[in-house]
This record gives sequence, C-alpha cells and structure tokens, in this order.
Amino acid sequence: MAHFADDRVVPASADDPLQLAAQLHETQEQLAATSEILAVLSTSATAPDDVFDAIVGRAKRLFDADAAQIQVVEGGEFLLVRSAGTTREYVDVVTRRRPSARTRATLVGRVALDRAPQQIADVLADPEYSGSDYQREGGFRTIMGVPMMVDDDVVGVLSVWRRTVSPFDEQDEAVLLTFAAQAALAVRTVELVRAVQDGGQLLARKVDQLEALAEVGKAISSTLDPDEVLGTIVLHAVELSAADGGSLMEYDEESGLFRVRTAYGTAEDTLTALKGTRIHIDETLVGSAATSGTPIQVPDLASVERDPHLKVLHDAGWRSLVAIPLTHSARTVGVLVVRRKSTGAFTGETCDMLSAFASQSAVALVNARLYRELEQQRAELAVTSQHKSEFLASMSHELRTPLNAVIGFSEVLLERMFGELNERQEDYLRDILGAGRHLLELLNDVLDLSKVEAGRMELEPTTFPVLDAVHPVLALLRERAAQHHITLQLEVGPDLPHVTADQLRLKQVLLNLVGNAVKFTPDGGTVTVAVARSRDELTVTVADTGMGIAPDDQERIFDSFQQGTRSASASEGTGLGLTLTRRIVELHGGRVWLTSEPGLGSTFGFSLPQPQAVTAHDGAGWSRAALDDARPTVVVIEDDPSSSELVGVHLTAAGLRPVPVRSGEEGLAAVRDLRPSAVVLDIRLPGMDGWDVLGELKADPELARTPVVVVSVLPDSRRGFALGASDYLVKPVAGEVLLGAVWRAVAEHDHVLGGGRRTLVAIDDDPLALELVRATLEPQGWRVVTYTRGSDALQSIALSAPSVVLVDLRMPDTDGFEVIEALRADPRTNAVPVVVLTAKTLTTEDRARLQGRIEFVASKSQLDLGLLAQRLARVARRGTAAEATP
Amino acid sequence: MSGARVLLVEDNERNLKLARDVLEFAGFAVTVATSGEEAVTEATRALPDLVLMDLQLPGISGQAALARLREEPRTAAIPVVALTAFAMRSDREQALSSGFDGYLEKPISVRDFPDQVRSHLRPSVRGSP
Repeated sequence: MAHFADDRVVPASADDPLQLAAQLHETQEQLAATSEILAVLSTSATAPDDVFDAIVGRAKRLFDADAAQIQVVEGGEFLLVRSAGTTREYVDVVTRRRPSARTRATLVGRVALDRAPQQIADVLADPEYSGSDYQREGGFRTIMGVPMMVDDDVVGVLSVWRRTVSPFDEQDEAVLLTFAAQAALAVRTVELVRAVQDGGQLLARKVDQLEALAEVGKAISSTLDPDEVLGTIVLHAVELSAADGGSLMEYDEESGLFRVRTAYGTAEDTLTALKGTRIHIDETLVGSAATSGTPIQVPDLASVERDPHLKVLHDAGWRSLVAIPLTHSARTVGVLVVRRKSTGAFTGETCDMLSAFASQSAVALVNARLYRELEQQRAELAVTSQHKSEFLASMSHELRTPLNAVIGFSEVLLERMFGELNERQEDYLRDILGAGRHLLELLNDVLDLSKVEAGRMELEPTTFPVLDAVHPVLALLRERAAQHHITLQLEVGPDLPHVTADQLRLKQVLLNLVGNAVKFTPDGGTVTVAVARSRDELTVTVADTGMGIAPDDQERIFDSFQQGTRSASASEGTGLGLTLTRRIVELHGGRVWLTSEPGLGSTFGFSLPQPQAVTAHDGAGWSRAALDDARPTVVVIEDDPSSSELVGVHLTAAGLRPVPVRSGEEGLAAVRDLRPSAVVLDIRLPGMDGWDVLGELKADPELARTPVVVVSVLPDSRRGFALGASDYLVKPVAGEVLLGAVWRAVAEHDHVLGGGRRTLVAIDDDPLALELVRATLEPQGWRVVTYTRGSDALQSIALSAPSVVLVDLRMPDTDGFEVIEALRADPRTNAVPVVVLTAKTLTTEDRARLQGRIEFVASKSQLDLGLLAQRLARVARRGTAAEATP
Repeated sequence: MSGARVLLVEDNERNLKLARDVLEFAGFAVTVATSGEEAVTEATRALPDLVLMDLQLPGISGQAALARLREEPRTAAIPVVALTAFAMRSDREQALSSGFDGYLEKPISVRDFPDQVRSHLRPSVRGSP
C-alpha cells in the first residue's frame, strides 16, 4: 500500500446545522465585502502594464537613454515585463533566457543581491559581466538599474541603458529610484488585487461547500427516506470536488464487509458489479481508510495493486479516487468514495471538504440504519399484534361457548322452566350462575383491556344528553342496592346539556364505578353520584360510605388485579374494572382520581374534556374566563356539526382546546378575541367563505401570524398556500394527519411567539429507543433532548426544567431508579413529571421504589407509540396547568 | 296450534340443547342441524319461519350456509339470525353486512332469548307462539 498518498485532513465540524448556517452567513458576508474592494481597485489603480509602459517610456526620454526596461522577479529569475527602445530579438532572448536574480554576472543580478542601485559604465570593460548574449542583441554599453522594493523585498529592477559609453549621474539615479518606487507600487497593487481575487474565489468555493453542506443537512432533517439523503450527499460530494462519480458504502460490523448503498455518476452495470463485490475491511483500500480513520487517495489506479473493489472501478474506466472514512461515536459506519475518470491527486482542500461531508454522511447512515430497524420493528410489531388479536378473538370465542351452557342452564332452572327448586338447589344454582357471569365479565374486561393496550380501542364519540348514560346504569344497579338497603342518589348540576363521548364506554365506566361503590358499601349506606358540567369538562363523582381505602392502596388500586384491602370482604370484581375505567377515561383525554378516608368512605371521580359548544347567540362563549386552561386553543371554523364534532374530539384527545364556531364571521371574531394557537378552517361556509376568512386573517397584522390549517373537500391547496395557509388537508382527513398538521402549526406558532415548547428529556442507553421516541414526538411539536447516561441528564434537567422526563430503568452506571431518586432529592427537579419506559417486568419491590414518584410506566414490550405520545402530552399539560395555578 | 317453526343450527351439543329447550319452553317448534350442509338440506325440506345459525360450524361456515339459503328461491326469504360467541363490535358489523337479519350473542339471556328470536320473525307469523 506504499503507493497511496496519505493525505491527512482535519474534518470540519459540519453536523451542527445551526453552526453551519452561521458559518455560511459569515462567509457570504466576507465575499460581499471582498467583491466591493475588488470593484474599487479595478476602477482606480489597475492595469499595471499601463503604469509600466508609462514608466519605461518616460525614463527612456528623461535620461536620454536608448532603452528602458522593467523586469520583475519570479521564481528567482528576472522576467521582462515591459521595455522601451528594444528590438524584438532582444525581448525574445531575455524572455527565453531569463537572467538569474542570484548572480553578479548581470546588472539585474547585482541590483537584486545588493538591493541597491547599480551602474556598469561599460559592460564590455567589466570582467564580471557575462550577459554577452543580451548585450549582443541589445548592443548596450552603459547600463544603470535600480531596485523596485515592496516592503523589504526586491520585486523587480528598472533599468536604462545607452549604446554608447556614457554613464548616468547621481541625479539620474535618484529620479530613476522614484520611478522604480511607482513601478513597485503597481506590482504591489497587482499582488494585492490577485490576492484579493484569489481570496474571493476561495470564499466563493467555501460558500458553495457550505451551501452544499447546508443542503445535505436540510435533506437529512426533512426527509425520512434515507436513500434520498445518501444520494444527496454523494451528488454534492462529487460536484464540489469536481469529480466524475462517487459512492457511499455502509459498513456491517458483523461481517466486516462494506455494502454500496448509493452511487452517483456511475454506470448501472458498474454499480451492480460494485454491489456484488466483496469489500472486506481487512482486504481493501476503503477498509484501510476506515481502519486508519483518515482519507486515502489513489492518484492513479493503473499504477497500484488493485483490490477487488479497485479492480471493478479500474475496469470500468475510473482512474483516480479518494476514500473518506465515515465514523460515528468512534465507530466505523461506512466510507465515502469520490472518483475521477482521469488521473491526478485530490487537493488537500478537496479532502477537507469531503471530510466535512463525511460527518454528515455518517449521521445519515446511522439514521438510515435506525429507520430500517424501526421499519422492521414496526412490521414485527404489526405481526405480533395481529397474532395477539387473533388469539384473543379465538380465546374469547372458545370461552364464551361453554359459558353459554353454564349460564344458560342455570337460568333455565332458576326460571323454574322445569319445576320448583328447593332452597339449597336454588342457592347452588345462583352460585353457578354468579360464577359463570363473573367469568364472562372477566373475559369481557380482558378483551377490552387488551384492545386499549394494543391501541385498538376506537372511541365512537357522539353527542347525547348525559343522563341518557347515567339513568340506565343506575336502573341496572338499583335492584342490587335495594337488596342491601343502600340509598342510591343522583345529584345533577342545574345545567346539564349534552356531552360528547363514546356512550357505550361512558356507561361502562359509570357501571364500574357505581357498581363498585354499591358492592363495597355496607348495608344501609349511601352511594351518591354527582354529575356536573363546566364549560369544557364533564365531571362525575361517585361517593360511597364504605370502609375507605388506605392511602398506600390508593394508587395501586388502579393497577390490574389489585383490590386493596377491601378484597378481603368481597372478591366479586374482575380486578380489571378500575384499570379499564382509567384507560377509557384517558382515551377520552380525561383523568380519574380517588379521595378516601379509611373508615368514612371513598370518592371516585373522573372528568371528560368537552368541546365547547359556541353558538351565534352565545357571544360570551369564548370569554377570557374560559382560558384558565393551559391547553393551546384551536378555533375550528366548520359549519357541519358532525365534522366539527369529529375535529373537536380529535383535538381534545390530543390535549388541545377546540373552540368550534359555525361561520366565517364568528370565526374571525373568535380569533380576534381568543388569539388561538391555530385555526382549523373549512372552505365551504355559509355567508363569508373560507377563502375570505383566510384572506382577512392574513391581512390583519395582529392575526396574520396565527397558523391556519385548511380542511376542505376542495382540492385547491395552491390557492390555500398562496393565501398563507400553514397546511392544506383534503377531506376526509385521518385523525392523525389532522393532529400532525395542527400540532405542527401550534408548535410553530408558540415557538414564534416565544412560548414554551414542550420539552422531553429521554434517557435510555439504547439509541434506537431514543430515536423511536424522537421520531414519534418531534412531529407533534415536542423538543426532544436525549441522553444515553443518566448521570449526564441530571444537570440538564435541573437547568432546563423540561415538561417531562422519560427514563429507562435498566441502564449501565446510573440506572433509572437512581435517576428518579436523584431528581426527587433535588428541589429544582422534584416536581418534574417522570415517566418510566422499560422492558423490565416490575417486581413488587420495584413498584414500591417508584410509588408516588412517577406518572406512569410504559412497557417497551408492548409499546404503542401513539398512545405513549398522548399520555405524555397529558402529563405535560397537567404540569403546565399545575404551574399556572397559584 | 303449534308455534313458529325455528331451525336451530349449532354444532355444540350443550348449547344446542340449551337453546332448543328454552325455545320449546317458550312455545316454538324447533328442528335442529349441526352443520352448514345439514342446515341447508333441513331448511329446504322444512321451510322454517326462521333460522338461528351459529357462525363457526364444521364443514361450510354459517356465512356460506346463509349464501346457499339465499340462492335457493324457496328459502331465500326466510329470516336468518346469527347466534354466535364472537363478541367484537366488528364481528357484529361483519355479520350484518354479510346478510344476516340479526345478530345474537352467546351467552344468551334465557329470559330474553325467546323475545329476541321472536322479534326477527316476519310479522305474519310473529303472533303465533
């Protein structure tokens, strides 16, 4: 490998897009300034030849000389640049045989050596003079020269001669010196101009490079298609290094092989050959570059020993290349190869530039790998999830079949279809029936819960009078309550209009809570159900006069199969009811709570956020009082009630506060009054249409910055964007697409206005997990900061006060438990909400350690990223709401 | 006078017995089949007022049996109600969209079952049992 020129370069830091942008800007400004200087110079002091012409012409005349000439030093020799009174033959000789600047044999040599004026009264009489060929052509006898000095250097000599022996006097010498000074000035100007020009070109090149880097950076951050990013990188690398082609290879640590991911300027069959070539790290040039961590170039492929990779290239007509190693976190991830069809070395500057690309490429390669793994994981997850639901469906079917007989025959007998029963028979039959129904209930809860866990429970929200859900549930339980002499009472607020929720699920929640209350209240007690509706929330509480729940059990009771100490007296529940209740309420965007005094009873409560019904007559509907809410407000301008409701339900569930209005005029009024974070706008509206609304919003300087997401049946996105819409969605719109657009708009708006963006600090030693979290949350407007070590994260959390901390439990060095303990011990961080994301199955001991310190635990083994995002948003919201409350 | 005639298609012996006993107790005249093919033969022979059909059956499925009943002019108009232990929301929607006139879930409620079946009879025979 001795042939390979080793060209070590220092890679520029190019993986920080902000830094890159700043650098680009600075360089562009330098370039602009330089261009101005150039312009000034070129109009004023300029063409040096004109100056030289003037000087030699004037010198010849002034000193009554036969000739005058200016020679400048270049590479230790004198170059004749201008002369007067000379023949063409003389000029040819002096141009061809340049006099040396380091000899006393010529006049100019002496001037250069002595840095002082020199005169030879008669060259033919001077024993040291040996410029006989010049002399023969020029025919001079007396010659005088003075140095042209720039700083302390002799840059040239101005000389005059006579063909007769007739020495110049001292005054001649002094005047000639002033002429030489002018000539020197001209030389200096030329040098300056050239330097500035060179600098300008350098800067221009630098701008090109930075622009290319910025473009690559943009590609990396704006597309999820890794091949597109890699393609962009190779394209720019090749173009900027004035090469003919290139390729990007990915390194596979396991096999030690490089695989060509993408190429540019490469024939199809060559690419196929490259892809089929075994490129091993120990056997190839690219491998050597990777191992050494420095670029290696081959100026002439024909003259080196060729490994299989180089052979393919050489056979395809490539003649030179440079291989730049790509490393990420001190590990080889690939190699960038740039090649030419001609021989020759790549300059150091080119290598520097390519090294800057290398860091970008490494990031892109790592991302590409992560996305691939992500895709694979998603596919596996989908299969697993599919298997799981198939299993659940068939399990449900198989259990239901025998239960049908158990329950049915018990009922047949209890209905006395076939005769009277004695007391004991009836008693046992009721036991069989009770056990059968219990099993059925358990089965139903398991199915529901697994649907929630798999993110498959879909709400079917409708708007209905809230008592439609409450009354049937109470009717169902009234009999049981009466048997135990329990008073079942309902307290309703004065104004109970409609509620928007999944009616079936709301009934399920009510049945569970009220059923529990009846079950755990001793005979003669009271169960009170209270229903109240505030402007944007439905609140239901169920209070009993039971034995209460010990503080230690109050959180645990919502976990599966936990009934607290009350299970001692009654074991009829499935142990899943409260878990399911909480999940269903959370799916609606609400929350569940419990207050209890042991011995006095318990109160379970839940709330469901409600889209606000604002009508034309309800002008006060969006009064500022309604804004005592940390959620970002979104005004929804939509005349179709069902569409509006659907949008409202999605926005509410995602932690936003929708304010629905039915017309453009109302919409404008609402936007002026509420200053929402975003507007969702329909186009076909009665009266003023959506285009007019959009136009008016954007024309008002105070409202123009409010992002508008257009949702319309009209596919006219160009018009929408032209009028300033942030996004344009064509109906029907999937919920998550809508949410993505609205969240982006809200994040952008809040960011622009300097409002706090939701920040999540994620700590996990697995970079893939971090990438998953980032990929999920960033599109929803989160700022995600990741750490692979718990100890590194603590300081940052204390200083930045993020909205939520997401932490893995099992990590080397500081584990998740320690991180949580440290956070809770520090007064600056003890209130930061913490969510645990772990693959670990929690032991009782683990739960005890986490008790009261975290929001919830999400399991990696059954991770639903969408659901996790929703729950995190809810946690973040609660955090800000809590801060806002005095 | 005999009650409405119901063909009960069910492969699980115990559940067949339960549904039959409950329906007979309520005054229905019940004939039975334990597979899809048998159901088609029996329905064509007996021309019942209603068919109660399990979905998961040995041989052809409940849906396939339904399709055959609809193809045969003599049985095409007989109401066919699914009786199944599949309990997902989507199962119900799927059954109804594939042409069943009704959908009853197991476990049945003994007290309500006869009325639920009766509600799917054509008005002309509804009053009989």
